[in-house]
Amino acid sequence: MLSVGYNRAPVVEGLSFAVHRGDILGIVGPNGSGKTALLRTILGLLRPIRGEVERQTGLAISYVPQRDRIDTIFPVTALDVVLMGRAARTGPFERLQRTDLDAGIRALSRLGAEPLGRQLFRNLSGGQQQRVLLARALAGEPDVLVLDEPTAGMDAASEAGILEFLRDLNRTRGVTILLVTHMLPIVLDLASSIMLLGARTILHGTVDEVLQEDRLSDVFGVPVHLGVVAGRRTLVVGRRTGVDG
Amino acid sequence: MVEFTFMRLALVASAAMGAALGLIGVYLVIRRVVFLGLVLANAATVGAAAAEVFGWSSEIASAATAVGAALGFGLVRRPRRVSDESLMGWAYAAASSAPVLILAAGSAPDADALHMLFGNILAVSDSHTVGLVLVALGIGLAHVLFARRFLLVTFDADGAHVAGVNTRLWSLGLNLLVGLAAAAAVQELGALLTFALLTLPAMAALLVTTNMRATFLTAAGLGATLPCLGLAVSFYFDLPAGPASVALLSASVLAAAAVGRFSSAR
Repeated sequence: MLSVGYNRAPVVEGLSFAVHRGDILGIVGPNGSGKTALLRTILGLLRPIRGEVERQTGLAISYVPQRDRIDTIFPVTALDVVLMGRAARTGPFERLQRTDLDAGIRALSRLGAEPLGRQLFRNLSGGQQQRVLLARALAGEPDVLVLDEPTAGMDAASEAGILEFLRDLNRTRGVTILLVTHMLPIVLDLASSIMLLGARTILHGTVDEVLQEDRLSDVFGVPVHLGVVAGRRTLVVGRRTGVDG
Repeated sequence: MVEFTFMRLALVASAAMGAALGLIGVYLVIRRVVFLGLVLANAATVGAAAAEVFGWSSEIASAATAVGAALGFGLVRRPRRVSDESLMGWAYAAASSAPVLILAAGSAPDADALHMLFGNILAVSDSHTVGLVLVALGIGLAHVLFARRFLLVTFDADGAHVAGVNTRLWSLGLNLLVGLAAAAAVQELGALLTFALLTLPAMAALLVTTNMRATFLTAAGLGATLPCLGLAVSFYFDLPAGPASVALLSASVLAAAAVGRFSSAR
């Protein structure tokens, strides 16, 4: 059983789960529920308090951190940032080649961000920076993509674009995706499985297994209602409103 | 001025170490740990003071204390209740008082403490100048070889770690490089000018450049030229060389801020 937390104080305890190739796991929970601690433990950035994380050897993992964790003091272009995703995969004495540059441009292009390549990263909007960070992760040609709050602070259109991109990446390239968010609706139509971290309860299972009003209400501590809008699952926190349920 | 051998040596030593400190200082500024430069420069003076009193080699002693401090900051986990900044403040306070106490306990003259704070570049010897040039070349070479790695672990250490880069090792290597540069420079330039060269050229460069290559080149260029200009000012106006150089470096930051504001307004 895995326990994670900071300074030997557990935040999440009693976890045991596996992520398989091609899965999309959404780790969801309210602020302070231990999502980021769990993610950092999975990534090897934080030591587990108890238990262990086993990774298949040779996996290429790319990490997209929360945007505000990236310092914008650096005078680097968007393409420079994307190429860091390639540089991290090369040896310390190796130079980036033309193929790396092409891969970087291709990654930007896949996210519709090619025109941003020459612009300074710090001058981009939040949504544009997020796309560049995603392109950096993509440039590393990952088997596993790990994202921490990838749509935080984005408008609805940008958010939908990112989620569609992730869905496509998983479908066409079989990339395994781990996504942490405090916004449950984001993962409802994306994830193949969900881990819900609550103050008292941890729910883990397929989306259908986890998406039950009484269970969600228990985790969030407020009434949660499920419904479908325009063919997509959604939820409303608090009292019931005008959705088909 | 260049007809005097001591001035020629001072110019070569200042330009070489100024370029090296300016270059390596960019990493300190973008990592937001400029006080690490101050701590390491002062840590080097602790070794130099001990060497003065006990008759050791001052180069080895100052390198040992600066490298020790660099390793300490790289390896020791700070308590969660205090910030890195306050830890550096503590180290700076300790490293500033220690040389004075060591020299006083060893009955060394007060002039020695002043020499360590402000340096005495005009008294640099032939062999020390050659040594400083070699150190500067080594730092330049390390930068050319490993700049991409240093930037990776500086820009997003977590992302680099996940991708398989040994971030702890590279961060430590960067700290050691700064420690060695500070130890070499502090002997002749003094702690104040060493810190100024680690910080101010990088600041000025970041204010006027828009890519990392230009930032490094500008910082190295300012680091190489301004202390030489400081020497010229000192020579012709009979002013102390170290503070004159620091004043010029400070003025360069103001000028860069004005240029940066002007160019972004256009």
